[in-house]
Amino acid sequence: MSTTTVSKKHAIPSAGTGGVTFLRVLNSESIKFRTLMSTKLLLVLTFVAIVGIGLLSALVRWNFINQMVEVGRQGHKETVQQAVDSFPPGSGFNLYNLPNAGLNIGILVMGSLAVLFIASEYATGMIRSTMNAAPGRLSTFGAKAVVLVVVSYVLSLVAGVVTFLLASPMFANFGLDLGWNTDGVLYSVFTGGLYVSGVALIGLSLGTLLKNPAGGITVLVGIMFVLPFAGQFLSLAPGEFWKYVPQYLPSEAGGRFLSIGHVDGTLDPWAGGLVFLGYVILFMVPALIALKKRDV
Amino acid sequence: MIEATGLRKVYGAKTAVDGISFTVQPGKVTGFLGPNGAGKSTTMRMIMGLDRPTSGDVIVNGRHYSQHKAPLHQVGALLDAKAVHTSRSAYNHLRAMAATHGIPNSRVEEVIEMTGLTAVAKKKAGGFSLGMGQRLGIANALLGDPQTLILDEPVNGLDPEGVQWVRNLARYLASQGKTIFISSHLMSEMAQTADHLIVIGRGRIIADTTVDALIESQSRKRTLVRTSETTRLSELLARDGVRVEQNERETLEVYGVEPLRIAELALDNRVLVYELTPLTSSLEEAYFQLTKDEVEYHSHITGGPAAPGGPLDGSPAGVGATSATTMEGIQS
Repeated sequence: MSTTTVSKKHAIPSAGTGGVTFLRVLNSESIKFRTLMSTKLLLVLTFVAIVGIGLLSALVRWNFINQMVEVGRQGHKETVQQAVDSFPPGSGFNLYNLPNAGLNIGILVMGSLAVLFIASEYATGMIRSTMNAAPGRLSTFGAKAVVLVVVSYVLSLVAGVVTFLLASPMFANFGLDLGWNTDGVLYSVFTGGLYVSGVALIGLSLGTLLKNPAGGITVLVGIMFVLPFAGQFLSLAPGEFWKYVPQYLPSEAGGRFLSIGHVDGTLDPWAGGLVFLGYVILFMVPALIALKKRDV
Repeated sequence: MIEATGLRKVYGAKTAVDGISFTVQPGKVTGFLGPNGAGKSTTMRMIMGLDRPTSGDVIVNGRHYSQHKAPLHQVGALLDAKAVHTSRSAYNHLRAMAATHGIPNSRVEEVIEMTGLTAVAKKKAGGFSLGMGQRLGIANALLGDPQTLILDEPVNGLDPEGVQWVRNLARYLASQGKTIFISSHLMSEMAQTADHLIVIGRGRIIADTTVDALIESQSRKRTLVRTSETTRLSELLARDGVRVEQNERETLEVYGVEPLRIAELALDNRVLVYELTPLTSSLEEAYFQLTKDEVEYHSHITGGPAAPGGPLDGSPAGVGATSATTMEGIQS
């Protein structure tokens, strides 16, 4: 605190001379992500919730199949495999997508966390320090995006694997061939994280555009969880056209991306993925422009 | 070195900064002085590239702030002590900021020690007092050992030891050839720290000069006169177009007239005068004088005729005792 301390310390150029690079900004953002107690706690709870909800959802499916088997014993000829195969893709009763059974929790939490990752900086004023340290601005957005995508993907992937490992033995009593080599299981494991990452990027963009944690999370929940309901009502409107509109909603297109197989009248999985990617870009571009042009 | 040319910022219908040009030289402490809402913070945000100027330009150390490859080594700024995430510790906040430039953690510990934050460095910044928050903001500004230091109201909330420390730090860094730009709305603080002063009011620069020159230019001859017949003497002096203020009973302050002349006038008219004291302006008064017409937010609206005359022309701001109310209004 004394001036003598000041003069001694300043004689040594201890601050280095390094400039700003993307990797350094990435390091800075990952320090920020890791040094909030609330974030770490939330990630642990999210992992538990994804697996927990996944197991509950698996139990619901087990119950459903079990009832069909009971019905089968009363004279129907269908085998369990035929019963399972008869579920239309995306109906929620397929078994290959067990890894993603609890994914909606991941979407909710990682999306909200993404909104908070930047909006809380606006709310606390931290953003001014951030933008002083990395005045290019876009590198900060990019670094936050990388951190969120990596965390979302790894979390979803690990939670998916654990969910499948815990849930698949439940179905052993039906004599179903359910394992890692079952069609769509590995696909589900690797795509679930992509979907969650995409939602996180939408969340980051909303947080940037709105600068407000509560507002950003509300809009995100509206898009991902309320809009699908509106879509269901829309499909009841008269005319064939309205039946095809809801599948283009972000949540529906993203959900379709997680399933396998072609179904007449719905988007193919790859097309669903592209539509969802389009939404991600649609949110990111205005956010990047606003971040660059707007006063902090 | 900071160079601003025709810098202007308009927010909607309000012009916060109105086309100002100035240069902040290295090796000196330059005070940026002005009442609340004068445009100091806006100007500093434009220097740091946080706000885009509506027109005009400002460069630091030869470039726009955002075009520097290592901006934290060029310019360190304390713009807002609250620019910290409230749930993160001071140490981790500084570590994250340092990481953007690959500044080692040893430097982070160094600035924590320099700013006296060692005891609270691992605590959440949200729980910091105003003074501790200021110290953290200063620590943040010093991280890159910058060539130019910009501090917006750095002594706000600091204890006397902290105020002394900021003053010494600013003077020391200036002596090392660095550019130091400090804003304040307190002239008394700047008088002890700054070599050069830029005074801003309502978005315009109203003085850009040394501390001594500012006092010189703004000081006027004043004489304290005690008499039981204040009204009569005021009228007599006002007849010659002399500005007179009455702030106390039986006491007048007379502007721009030699005591001898007042004594003669009193003698000629048989008015009893029992004190005649020449007064000199302090820097504080010079500042009030300079900014009285530029204050954005008056404490209360004063009656009487508006005081004519610009802030720099040095002409009497009003004639007669009515102007006393105006002065009182500003000083209260």
